[in-house]
Amino acid sequence: MTDSSVKAIAKVMDSVGDSAYVVVALIVLMALYAMLTQKNLLKVSIAISVMCSSVNMFLVLLGYRAGGNIPIHFLKGDESALMVLPTPQCLTLTAIVIGLATTALMLSLIVMLRKHYGTLDIDEIRRLRG
Amino acid sequence: MRKTVFMAAIIVLAGLFCGLFEEIHPFGIPASTAMDDYFIVHAPEDRSSHNVVTSMVFDYRGFDTIGEASVLFTALSSIAALFRNKDARGEGDGGRRG
Repeated sequence: MTDSSVKAIAKVMDSVGDSAYVVVALIVLMALYAMLTQKNLLKVSIAISVMCSSVNMFLVLLGYRAGGNIPIHFLKGDESALMVLPTPQCLTLTAIVIGLATTALMLSLIVMLRKHYGTLDIDEIRRLRG
Repeated sequence: MRKTVFMAAIIVLAGLFCGLFEEIHPFGIPASTAMDDYFIVHAPEDRSSHNVVTSMVFDYRGFDTIGEASVLFTALSSIAALFRNKDARGEGDGGRRG
């Protein structure tokens, strides 16, 4: 990564401003709407994954510092340059892996449901309602 | 009908989110940076890693990573239990496989 491209990315990020939070909120709301209204279980699981990603995005956005570089020390330039916060990125890495595990479990449960009921439509899977 | 009700609920939730934007710190100015500044300054000599995120994932917050690995292992075991071949149980080997 060259110095100029780092500066260009920082410039774009600084011009984004608070609308970054608005974008994350929009993605959360869209995923929630899809989760509530879709009938196909696969589409519901896609909505859950989108919401997971938007939460990860929000965590990384919380740790952004205006004009900051990535937190790696052998970039060109002065070593004391401003860096974005590393803690939210570290926790986001953990959250990505846990989201992967939950998605895998969710999809395998959907496969089992398809085997038992022969359909993915949640209105036709009624035996759970007692 | 159902979709209209959910749409109304989503719009109400969007209003609540707009209220939250007043509370959150402005984009690009984190609320508290003392811990992260310590990590950024001390990671190269403490943990011999130029990448601060790597030194946090594997050293400063290593227990976190152990928990993450255990979550992965639990999910894998659950998937293996779900897709177990039930017909193979107890056929000629005294049920040792099952």
